[in-house]
Amino acid sequence: MAVERAALERAAGRERLLGTFGALGGALAIALVLGSVLILLYGESPLSVYASILDASFGSTTGLGYVLASATPLIFSGLAVAVCFKAGLFNIGVEGQYLVGMVGAAFAALYLPQDLPGFLLVPAILIAAMLGGLAWAAIPALLKVKTGAHEVVTTIMLNGVAGSLVAWAINFPLRFVPPPGQNVDLRSRNFPTQGLVGDLGQYIGVSGGAHLSWLLLLAVAAAGVTWFLLRRTRLGYEARAVGATPGSARAAGIRIDSTQVRLFLISGALAGLAGMQQILADKGYLPQNYIAQVGFTGISVAFLGQNNPIAIVFAAILWGILSRGETALQITSSVPREFIIILQSILILSVVITYLIAKRRLAARELSRAAEVERDAEAAA
Amino acid sequence: MFTDIAVALQISFTYFTIFYLTGTGGLFSERSGIVNIGLEGLMIIGTVTGAFGARYFTDTMGLGEIWGPLLGLLLGALCAMLFAGIHALATVTFRTDHIVSGVVINLAAIGVARYLSQAFFGQATQSDPGGPRLPRIDIPFLSSLPEGLGRAFSNLSPFVLLAAVAIVPVWFALYRTRWGLRLRSCGENPEAARSLGLNVSAYRYQGVLLSGFFAGASGAFLASEIIGNWREGQTLGFGFISLAALIIANWNPRRLLFFAWLFGFAQAIPLRLNDAPIISLLPAQFIRMIPYVVTIVAIAGVVGKVRPPAAAGKAYEGGTTI
Repeated sequence: MAVERAALERAAGRERLLGTFGALGGALAIALVLGSVLILLYGESPLSVYASILDASFGSTTGLGYVLASATPLIFSGLAVAVCFKAGLFNIGVEGQYLVGMVGAAFAALYLPQDLPGFLLVPAILIAAMLGGLAWAAIPALLKVKTGAHEVVTTIMLNGVAGSLVAWAINFPLRFVPPPGQNVDLRSRNFPTQGLVGDLGQYIGVSGGAHLSWLLLLAVAAAGVTWFLLRRTRLGYEARAVGATPGSARAAGIRIDSTQVRLFLISGALAGLAGMQQILADKGYLPQNYIAQVGFTGISVAFLGQNNPIAIVFAAILWGILSRGETALQITSSVPREFIIILQSILILSVVITYLIAKRRLAARELSRAAEVERDAEAAA
Repeated sequence: MFTDIAVALQISFTYFTIFYLTGTGGLFSERSGIVNIGLEGLMIIGTVTGAFGARYFTDTMGLGEIWGPLLGLLLGALCAMLFAGIHALATVTFRTDHIVSGVVINLAAIGVARYLSQAFFGQATQSDPGGPRLPRIDIPFLSSLPEGLGRAFSNLSPFVLLAAVAIVPVWFALYRTRWGLRLRSCGENPEAARSLGLNVSAYRYQGVLLSGFFAGASGAFLASEIIGNWREGQTLGFGFISLAALIIANWNPRRLLFFAWLFGFAQAIPLRLNDAPIISLLPAQFIRMIPYVVTIVAIAGVVGKVRPPAAAGKAYEGGTTI
């Protein structure tokens, strides 16, 4: 009997996994078909357009390096969104937390003793980034549990505030004043070189221009840790319970408020790391024209990965491939690069719906399986 | 000083129009039971299609400086309404989580807007500045107030007045017609509404589509009447501020009138009152935070004292609410 149940559990697990990939595959198929229609409207061949997109990523190691480098921040921001989402919280503020994380890191890089060795300085900067993101996430978290203010509205407003905070930081305390006669864009001073993150690409034949860094490995490790946190710890269990049925979670003695605050803080800390690729691997300073939307793209990536930390790594890479395709389109076809954004939008819209359908079918299957087990048990008795 | 306040007031009326129109859109959707945080995305669709419409009807079709901008605004409203159909399809038909769908609407709108912009204007992130707009009007009597105060009521877009007057039909439709009563009952208790033979899904579709219409009109107003062209990112979170105004107004159109204006005034502070006492002590970047901070404080201060439509945000599957 026990053996049978274990086998059934395994079967259910397999089906869940199949459902996840089925939903993702289905959504990808819908997006590619609708995308083909758009491409045909431009009088081009869908196959050759898709081939050129893939070629930009997989045609060379450096292409792949670019994809992985652009996936790095998205893994962090996708994880940040997913951690909150598991508990039914919508952290739309990853964008702001990522900005404040960059400000925190820049302060650490410029105000810590400049002769600290790299193995101390880099971790210190990363911790400052996490603390920045965490502090920014603490505001909506506390407002939510203390006043009930919905996190969607508060986090969006805090994104706006964070933008001004970056502007203030690079205008005043961190401002780089160029030597006379030299004209540079508004930005922070240069970070000490030993505070930057080393290049990873050189070991696998990726050109330095791709800025593929050790942060990729940190991001993958963060995905592993997040997976462990959500699947194998008490907090993860509580998060899933709160996200699924708050009523039963409360009845089971889970303190919803404290669970939500802790998850929000973890989410903020992850979000804080999303800007590090940009300032520690690419620029070496905090620029004024930082890449916006890293936090918002994290929402897309989390949806694509269906909030599964491991799947998010792949979703971020898929996103990186599509973004890399933008450059390819400009060179090889008359389809405008905005086509990629449309493709990404369709992908997100369809994944939400296909996943829902898969989930419903799974639930129905599981119900019928449970009924079968019960019937068998009755028959045995 | 008086002139500054008057000009700040004039700016506040303009922003009031944005928040009031979008908030009214949210009102119809949420009162029917569908939470709509996609208002921002719907506004974005309104900005790009509205800016295109104003140019197309005025310059290409040559319909003149009244009909051109008017039809442009209508086009923005209708396109956003079409886009809102996705939210209706996802939430009403496929019963997706309302917040998830709303987030997706906002994300997708950015891409769609760029794509449309490329098609309309040949560039992805803006249109040429100085697009056609309606002639400005002065409000009789008020615009001739002494001490420069009259400036608050002069040189306004006619849409400002139109939005302010819109409260009457909106209120009437929601509270004095059979349709309004039924729409609201779908948001409060869909089971009861269904047991009376109402088609809950149909009312919810109407609510969501209306939210697209109003948010789109608001976006078109922003692009064509205020800025004069389409620019990526010009909505600046106004859809969310409108949503906050709606919540603080307790989903009531009359209170929304006041809070939309209040948030509009907060927007005017960094634009015009940055030399006022106390405020002038702050760096410019901090003054720019004021509207956002006001929204956060306001929303944190009222929650618990307001009550959303009882069934808003809950998926409804023809008989059972899950």
